[in-house]
Amino acid sequence: MIPFLARRLGQGTIVLLLVSVITFVIMMAAPGGPSLLADPKLSVAERAEIEQRLGLDQPPAVQYVRWLGRAVQGDFGASFLYQTPALTTIGSRLPQTLLLAGTALLLSIVVGIPLGLLTAARAGGVLDRVVTFACGVALAVPAFWSGLMLLLLFAVWAHVLPAGGAVTEGGDVGLIDRARHLLLPALVLAAGGCAELLRYTRSAALTTLALPFVQTARARGLSPRRILWRHALRHALTTVVSVIGLQLPRLVGGAAITETVFSWPGMGRLGVEAALGRDYPLVMAVTLVVAAGVVIAGIAADVVQMVIDPRVRAA
Amino acid sequence: MTRSAGCVWLLLVVAACSGGPTRSDETLRLPLINDPIFNPLLAPDLGSVMVNKVLFPGLVRPDEALRPSPDLAVSWLAATDGLSYTFALRPGVTWHDGVPFTARDVKFTFDQAIDPVSGSRLRSDFAAVAGVDIIDSLAVRIRLKTPFAPLLTLLGYNAGILPEHLLKGMKLTDAIAFNRTTPVGTGPFRIERVSPGSSVTLVRNASFYGTKPNVERIVFKIVPDINAQVTQLRAGELDLITIEPANLGSVQGAAGVRVLQVPVVQHWYVGFNASRALFKSAVVRRALGLAVNRSAIVKGVLKGYGDLPGGTIPVALHDYYDSAAAPVPYAPDSATLLLASVGWTRGPDGTLHNASGEPFAFELLVDKGNPTREQSALAVQQDLSRIGVKASIRTMEFAALVRDRVLPSNYDAMLIWWTTPPDPDQYSFYHTGEDNNHVRYSNAAVDSLLALGRATADTARRRLIYRAFQRIEREDPPVLVLFYPREIQAVSARLTDIPRLGIRDALRHSERFRIAH
Amino acid sequence: MSTRNISLVLAAATLGLVLAMAIFGPALYHASPVTVDLSIAGSGPTAAHLLGTDESGRDVLARLLAGARVSLTVGLSAVLLAVGLGTLIGAVAGLAGGWVDSLLMRLTDSALSVPALFVVILVLTFLGPSVFTLLCAIAATSWMGSARMIRGEVFVLREQPYVEAARALGATHATIIMRHLVPHLAPTVLVAATVGVPSAILTESALSFLGLGVQPPAASWGNMLSGAQTYLISSPLLAVYPGMLILATVLAVNALGDALRRSLKSDARLRV
Repeated sequence: MIPFLARRLGQGTIVLLLVSVITFVIMMAAPGGPSLLADPKLSVAERAEIEQRLGLDQPPAVQYVRWLGRAVQGDFGASFLYQTPALTTIGSRLPQTLLLAGTALLLSIVVGIPLGLLTAARAGGVLDRVVTFACGVALAVPAFWSGLMLLLLFAVWAHVLPAGGAVTEGGDVGLIDRARHLLLPALVLAAGGCAELLRYTRSAALTTLALPFVQTARARGLSPRRILWRHALRHALTTVVSVIGLQLPRLVGGAAITETVFSWPGMGRLGVEAALGRDYPLVMAVTLVVAAGVVIAGIAADVVQMVIDPRVRAA
Repeated sequence: MTRSAGCVWLLLVVAACSGGPTRSDETLRLPLINDPIFNPLLAPDLGSVMVNKVLFPGLVRPDEALRPSPDLAVSWLAATDGLSYTFALRPGVTWHDGVPFTARDVKFTFDQAIDPVSGSRLRSDFAAVAGVDIIDSLAVRIRLKTPFAPLLTLLGYNAGILPEHLLKGMKLTDAIAFNRTTPVGTGPFRIERVSPGSSVTLVRNASFYGTKPNVERIVFKIVPDINAQVTQLRAGELDLITIEPANLGSVQGAAGVRVLQVPVVQHWYVGFNASRALFKSAVVRRALGLAVNRSAIVKGVLKGYGDLPGGTIPVALHDYYDSAAAPVPYAPDSATLLLASVGWTRGPDGTLHNASGEPFAFELLVDKGNPTREQSALAVQQDLSRIGVKASIRTMEFAALVRDRVLPSNYDAMLIWWTTPPDPDQYSFYHTGEDNNHVRYSNAAVDSLLALGRATADTARRRLIYRAFQRIEREDPPVLVLFYPREIQAVSARLTDIPRLGIRDALRHSERFRIAH
Repeated sequence: MSTRNISLVLAAATLGLVLAMAIFGPALYHASPVTVDLSIAGSGPTAAHLLGTDESGRDVLARLLAGARVSLTVGLSAVLLAVGLGTLIGAVAGLAGGWVDSLLMRLTDSALSVPALFVVILVLTFLGPSVFTLLCAIAATSWMGSARMIRGEVFVLREQPYVEAARALGATHATIIMRHLVPHLAPTVLVAATVGVPSAILTESALSFLGLGVQPPAASWGNMLSGAQTYLISSPLLAVYPGMLILATVLAVNALGDALRRSLKSDARLRV
C-alpha cells in the first residue's frame, strides 16, 4: 500500500507539472491578453506601465519559470481582476463550491446507484422504462435551460424559493435559508451526473448478472436480492467508482454554468471569469487547485477499487 | 458510505455558513457583474465604479442636468488665467471611522491619481493637473499645466476622495484589506459586510454630511448573468437593473416592474480606419453615413430606446448638443451620387468598383456577445450592400478586438462605442495623433476647435466652439455615429425617488433612493 | 408488436427525420437562415416564414434546418473521435499493461484533471470557435471516460477463464481482441457513445451560453436555445423548437443505443 501511494503521488506531481505547462502555453497563445488592458481609453504609456508592473513584458518562457519558482513556494501571484493573492481569492469561493458539488454528488449517488441496480434487476420492466426515459430527459436538457425554467417556476411564479445566491443577502442566514438556496442548483447540477451514474451502474450490473459466477449463484438458489446486492453491486462498483472519479472535475470546475444561472459564488464561475478575462495568475491557480483535487480523488478512487475488487489489486 | 457522506455534507453546510444575520425591509438591492475593488483610483470596471460612487464622494457631483454641483466642496473659483481652481471644502465631514476629512485627504488623493507608480487608472483624466496646494485645512487649490475646462466634470466622475490617514505610505495596490474588505469613505453609506463572489452590504452612515439617506441598507448582489438579473428582479429580489433592448420583452408587463429610460453620455459608431486608402476621403465617410438607415436600427434593434444622431456629441449633453441641426438623414441615393463623384461606380455585379476595378469591400469588426451591437452590425452590413458596398462582419472577443486589431490600427472598420464623462471634450478621441484617436482622424479645423474647447471655461463660449465642431462633422465625419443609446432601467415598484440619471451618476445621489412600504 | 419494438421504431423514425432535416432540409426550404430583416422581427408564422421569425427577423425554420446539420455534425463527429480515441487508448493500456499502461494512464490523468471547460474556453478563444475547432475541443476533453472504462473492462475480462484458456491455447492478441474482447467491450463502447452524443450536443449549447459555441449568424440548436432564453417570456416558441429537437434527438439516440446493446449482448452470448 505505502509504495503504491508513493508511486501515485509521484505520478500526481508529474501530472500537475504537465497541467501547468499545458495551461500556460494555451493561455499565452490565446489572443487578446488580459482584459485589464482591453480598455481602449488607456494611453500607450499607461499600457506599457501596467504590462511592466505585471511582468507581462517578459518573454513567456521567463514568465513561466518565474511563476513556477514562486508557485512551488506556495505563491501563485495576485489576481489581475481581484488584486488579491490568487489562492486567497480561490479560498473565499472554495467552501461554496464544495458545498454545491458535494450536495450534487451525494444526491446523484444516493439516487443513481440504487436505481441503477433496481432497474438492472428488472430490466425491461415498467420502472426500468420510466427511469430510462427520465434519464434521457435529464441528460437532454442543458443545465442553463433547466436552471432558468426552475427559477421561473419556483422563484418568479410560485415565489416559494429564492431566485439565486447562496444566502438571503441582508436577511436571516440559517441552515434553512441556506438549504432553500441550495436546493435548485444542487438538483440541476446533480441531474446529469445522476443519470450518467445510473446508466453506468445499470449497464455494469447487467453485465455482471450475465457472468457465469452469478448464473452459478442463481442456480445454487441464492435469492435474487442477495445476488443483486452482494455480487452485482460489488462487481459493478469497479466501474461506478471510476465514473464518480470522472465526475469530480466537472462538478468542481465545470459547475460554472449552474453557478452563473443561480448566481452561486463558487469557483467554477471564478475560473470561467478568469479564463475569459485572461487573468493569468488566477487561471493557473484555479486550474492547478482543481487538478490537485482531481489527482487526490483519483488516488482515493484507486484505493477504493483495490479494496472492492482484489483482481485490480493483483493487476 | 451514505451516512459518512451525509456527515461531510452537514460539515460543508456549516463551513459555508458565514456572517451574521441582519434584517431590514428598507434595503435597496442592486446587481453587480463582478466583485468590486473599493478604490476609485484603481478600478475602472463597472462593478467597482458603482460601489465606489456610493462609498467615496468626490469634490463635486453631477446634478440631473449633468452639471457639476457641490459635494465635498461647497464652492469653487477658477482663476482668470484658467490655470488653477480653488475649492472651499465642506466643514464637519468625517470619514466612516470618525476621523475628520480635511484638505490633506484631497491633496493625497490627487497626488496618488497622477503618480505614475501608484497604479492609478485616472492618470489620463488628470494629466493636466500640475499639483494640489493646501491653503488651509478646508481649502485647496488644484494647479493645472494648461487651462483644462473638463476638470470640474472629471472631479465628479470617478475621482472619489481617499482617506490619507489610512493609506499614506503604502502603495495603493498593496492596501488589500482596504481595497477588498474594509474601505473607509465619506459617503452616505459605509461598508457593513463583504461576501466574495456573493454580495457587498452597505449600511446607512449616521454621521453623513448631507440629507439623511432614505434607505437603511444597500445590498449589491453579484449577479453576472443578465437573464439571472431579470429573473431576480421579477422574483422581487433586486430593485433596479439596467437591461439591453433585447430583454425588454421579459420585463414589460411583469407584475411589480416599471421600465424607465435615461439618455446617457455615449455615442455608438462605426469607426473607419482613415489611415486606409479606402476611408481617407471625407466624401466616402460622409456617403457611407448617408447610406445607413439609422431610424430602422433605433426602432428595430433598440426598440425605440435611443436617439438619432447628428455628430459625436450626444443629446444627453443638453448644453452642447447642436439641437438646431436635424439628425443625419437616410439618403442612399445621395450616397451613391457622392461615391460616384469620387470614382466609385456600380459594376455589372451590383458592387461598387473604382477606376482600377477594385471592389468597395472591407471587414467590419464587432465584439461578440452583445446582441445590440451584433444586430446593429448586421443592419449596417445590409444597408451598405444596398448601395453596392460589401462589408464582411467579423465578431471577436472585445479584449482581442482592442489589443490585436484596434490598437495596432490593424483593421478596416469597427462597430464600437465611447462612454464619456458628461463633458463635450473629445480631444483624445478625434484630435490628430492622440492615443485614443483609433480611427486616425485628422482635420486641422477640428484640431484647433477641440484644443480651444478644452481650454475654454466659459460655458457660452464653449457651446459655440462645440457647435462649430459639430457642423464640421457633417462635412468630414470622424466616425459614422449610429445612435445615442438610452439606458433602460427596469425597476421594482417599491423603489421610488430615483434620480433621473444613468445608474452610475444616480449612485452619486444614493441617499435619495427610497423604498415604499 | 411489443412496446420495446414500438419505442425502437419511434426512435429510428425520429432519428431518420432529424437526419433527413439535416441532409435535405436546406435544399427543400429556401428561406435564408442568416438574412436579417428587422422590420419583420419576432413575427408569427406566415407563408414566407413557416415558423415565423426570430428577434432579428431571421427565418426560424430555416435556422432549425441549418442548425440540425451543425448540431448533428458536432454531436456525431465529436463522439466518434472521442470514443474511437478512448477505446484505442483504453484497450491498448489494458492489454499491454506495464509501462505502456502507466504512460497512457498518466496522459489520461492529466487530461482528466484539467477542468475541461476552462481548457475549451482557452482553446476556442485561441483557435476561434468554428464547427471544426468545436468538435475537436469537445473530443479532446471527452475521450478519457471511455478510455478508463474500457481499460477497466479489459482488466476484468482478460482474467476471465475463457480468455486465459484462449491465451493458453496460443491465441494471438488480435484473435483475443476480436473473438473475446470486442463482443464484451461493445456494450461499454455503446454506452459511452450513446451518452456521448447527447453530451456533445449539450456541450455545444453550454458553450453557446458562454458565447463560445457555434457563432451567430450561423445557427445551431445550442445557440438558438441559448439565444432564446432572453426572449423566454415574450416568445417562448423560439426556445421550444430547438429544445424539443434536442430532447427528441437525445432520447432517440439513447433508445437506439439500448436496443443495439441488447442485440449485441444476445449475439455475444451465442459466441462465448
